[in-house]
Amino acid sequence: MGRIEGSPEQGLISASEVAVHLLERCISLEHFNAYMFGSTLHGVGEDIDILIVGPAGDLLAQLKKELHSAGESLPLHILYMQPSEERRTQFVAREKCVSLTKLAVVAPQGCSAY
Amino acid sequence: MNWQVKYAIANLSKGMRSTAEHVGDDIIRIMTHDRPNVLAAITAVETVNRETAAQYREQTEGLDFLCGYRKECVWEGEAIRYLEDNRIGWGNFGTLCSAVLDGNANTATHKIYKFSDRLLRQYGRIVRVDREFDRVHRVALRSGTEFRIGMIAAYEPTADEIRSLWDRFGAVDIAWNINPNGTPQPEARAAARELGCEVMKWGELKARLNKA
Repeated sequence: MGRIEGSPEQGLISASEVAVHLLERCISLEHFNAYMFGSTLHGVGEDIDILIVGPAGDLLAQLKKELHSAGESLPLHILYMQPSEERRTQFVAREKCVSLTKLAVVAPQGCSAY
Repeated sequence: MNWQVKYAIANLSKGMRSTAEHVGDDIIRIMTHDRPNVLAAITAVETVNRETAAQYREQTEGLDFLCGYRKECVWEGEAIRYLEDNRIGWGNFGTLCSAVLDGNANTATHKIYKFSDRLLRQYGRIVRVDREFDRVHRVALRSGTEFRIGMIAAYEPTADEIRSLWDRFGAVDIAWNINPNGTPQPEARAAARELGCEVMKWGELKARLNKA
């Protein structure tokens, strides 16, 4: 796996680049709704907040493995919710979560940090 | 420069009060006006055990603070005791930032669990506390009853957080939601029941300790 390069000010990858990276590395994400929220959406954050919404079980276990590998060199902070939990808390709306697929679309072409 | 060191320096630089420089490997020096300089190790490990803590201390003369940068970083009880015995502060990045400004980097402890740990130690009916991990305590009551308590800091603990606590740390009797404003989700309570434990807020835990 590649490393984040550059100075502290320049080398941290953007929200869009994180989204591209996770979607490329975690094929099981296609079975879940995945979002980013928090400070990384607005610049450099202390960590990268990710919300995964979907069922528990084997698929989730597989996704966790993939995310663990993809997050080897990233400060991912991942919250897993069942659909009923998200509906009750309205977490996506409340925290102004943005889907990873939407974020990935706005990533500059050829900017992959890896 | 390691990724976690980059994040630490970038985030320390965002504040107006401190500046940070890379010393080498995982080590940074933090300078703050009117506060002592802090020599901190920023580690990316997922679990800090005694061996990891000792390596950082032995390799870094004058180490003030060991910071587990990952949100999910777990601290084993023996590592905590080793660091505290050697006057090295420990905890997450938020703990480091607070300790730098408070000028107490050598004695600071993980701020997420600090008050809950103290609450258990100061509770009259508890006669012994064994901190197995930063968030898992085995407590013995005057009556002889023992409970293994796992702490969950989330605002709205989910079923996955209960299952993950159980998978990572083994069986607990009580999953204590230590966030004072927290509201455990019904799915979390159901997951706990399936596993054989209970999710509690402090009021419920206190009542259980008083009855046992």
